[in-house]
Amino acid sequence: MLTLDLDLGLLVLVMTSTRPFRKILIANRGEIACRIIWTCKEMGIRTVAVHSDVDRDSLHVRFADESACIGPAPSAQSYLNIPAIISAAEIFNVDAIHPGYGFLAESAYFAEICEACNIKFIGPRPGVIQLMGDKVEARRTMKAAGVPITPGSPGALDSEEEAIKIAREIGFPVIVKASAGGGGRGMRIVRSEAELGHALETASTEAAAAFKNGDVYIERFVERPRHIEIQVLADEHGDCVHLGERECSIQRRHQKLLEESPSPVMTPELRQEMGEVAVAACKAIGYSSAGTFEFLLDEDNRFYFMEMNTRIQVEHPVTEMVTLTDIVRNQIRIAEGDPLGFGQDDVIMVGHAIECRINAESPDTFTPSPGLITTFNLPGGPGVRLDTYVYPGYRVPPFYDSMIAKVIVHARTRELAIARMRRALDAMVIEGIKTTIPLHLKIMDDPDFQAGNISTRFMEEFLSRNGFREKSVGTASAALTGASG
Amino acid sequence: MSTGVKSAMSDQEDKQAEVVPSPAERPAAGSQRERDRDRGRRRHRNQPRHLEASINMSELRELIDLITENGLTNFELEREGFRVKVGRGTFVEDPGAPALLPGASERQIGGQTGSPVQSIPASAPSHPGALAEEAASVDQDLHIITAPIVGTFYRSPSPTAESFVRIGSEVEHNTVVCIIEAMKLMNEIQAEAAGEVVKIYVENGQAVEYGQPLFGIKTQ
Repeated sequence: MLTLDLDLGLLVLVMTSTRPFRKILIANRGEIACRIIWTCKEMGIRTVAVHSDVDRDSLHVRFADESACIGPAPSAQSYLNIPAIISAAEIFNVDAIHPGYGFLAESAYFAEICEACNIKFIGPRPGVIQLMGDKVEARRTMKAAGVPITPGSPGALDSEEEAIKIAREIGFPVIVKASAGGGGRGMRIVRSEAELGHALETASTEAAAAFKNGDVYIERFVERPRHIEIQVLADEHGDCVHLGERECSIQRRHQKLLEESPSPVMTPELRQEMGEVAVAACKAIGYSSAGTFEFLLDEDNRFYFMEMNTRIQVEHPVTEMVTLTDIVRNQIRIAEGDPLGFGQDDVIMVGHAIECRINAESPDTFTPSPGLITTFNLPGGPGVRLDTYVYPGYRVPPFYDSMIAKVIVHARTRELAIARMRRALDAMVIEGIKTTIPLHLKIMDDPDFQAGNISTRFMEEFLSRNGFREKSVGTASAALTGASG
Repeated sequence: MSTGVKSAMSDQEDKQAEVVPSPAERPAAGSQRERDRDRGRRRHRNQPRHLEASINMSELRELIDLITENGLTNFELEREGFRVKVGRGTFVEDPGAPALLPGASERQIGGQTGSPVQSIPASAPSHPGALAEEAASVDQDLHIITAPIVGTFYRSPSPTAESFVRIGSEVEHNTVVCIIEAMKLMNEIQAEAAGEVVKIYVENGQAVEYGQPLFGIKTQ
């Protein structure tokens, strides 16, 4: 890059090569759109925000260099509206699109269209997105790459007989899952052979209704698993590293509430083993950009591949804090064609980080609480990071995700991090809407949480310990979590 | 990479500030030769003949003269292999000049640290609808035709054809009033109201966003 200060007192001449991005369009909203803008600003990259009409006053629109309204409130007509987004990208002449998470982030179709329009999609190639998006294919591919997968059917089940045979091999309890599914739907736990036939039928029907695909498969069901995920970064030249793990077991209805890094049960040996498996798998499928391998860890610390997310994740900040990296920055550099520039030996993990997702919901009933924020006091001080898109006077719309902020703390030890999170949440005052801050404060005080005794059953047990009575949600999730009602 | 000349001006009436739509993508009704000539003409007017990667001082001075003579505040040129951006002073938009074009003005949102709450920028970044919205807001009793999609607005079916409508035109519900181009497709926009066109809020070739006011119709 050549910069001439011409001493005419008036002008600055800037010449750049075309490979680094000058301008990125962010095909998303909310806190992740802001997050991407922050890094773009640091890199001197101009940003274009697209938004629905109700998001006109949203923070990402305010801070982007340019913006355009692309449709009305419903996501299908705005944030999922591919022609509108591409049209905006062409008008603003952007070099690349960052899809964030959710929305079109894992749409192989969208990635292909970007490619066809000569706009760089910041993420892996469409073929890889497609592959990992099909859960059955992903399992098969991972197994072939030497990744341990939960014992189960090799693919979608053809018959009840096949299911019975496999269940006998792997042992009850088993779980029936939708091939095209996620989020707890199309799932049934089966504890005995007698229940299997019925469970297969209902799961398949539910899957067909929710995902237009009634294919199901079965896996061994681990009673008290931990959800441990490995963050990877791969460039487009075949190099790949992992950035350690995140513990994400604290979930309610398959939505994560709280995440941390490192995991309280992780050992350096296990981390190395899981990390190496993830990196080898990335290389086997030709992965590039940021990605996350989700594993189940059973009570004997054996890990099994669950799925891979071919995008940046909500909880990426805890990894950034302990590894001192900027994942968005790396995604952008990788998309520009830069080599990774560092190896596994350069990756460090320092201290302990915890993230609490703050939702605009009642902390007692979890009912959504959109509306006008009248007071908003941010916590600050040592080791506190806040990723948000709201501000005093902002009206939280009812059309989208209820998450309004992520509070992330970093400290030397887990104990200090918990204390830090407690005082940060105490100082975080949001009025005008209800938020789940009180819930997180209770979790910080919970003895099991403090001891690191957590599994994916934690939230359900915590809620019943603390007198929450949840409305019945439908048989699938109830069966999964054992909640009555 | 697009190879066009984009320029933004504080004085929007100067002809040399004509907006060049996304080059090579607009199907023009005129002959190929005519179009080549047009392209060449534009290129000659606004662009020094040879701009190689290592720019030399005399060409640079020519460029500077062009800019100061024509009162340009921002000038951007792209060609295969490089991009040149020249501006007057810091890239802050002249407060007297409303931005019509997306990306035309680079707004400096002064010195914020990026912390989300303490300093919300007083002015929103440039977006296509800013000026048109202001103008349309005073026309409360007119039926406003707004853009149903984001794209590039054209007054006529082709560069050489007549405009679909002008001030004073009568329209019916299904009268086509303009075209909005999105992703190489020309979308015909219908009036969906009956009456007389009394206001036109946007310029030919301008980028428009969803919901942006386009025409004001005085209905019967």
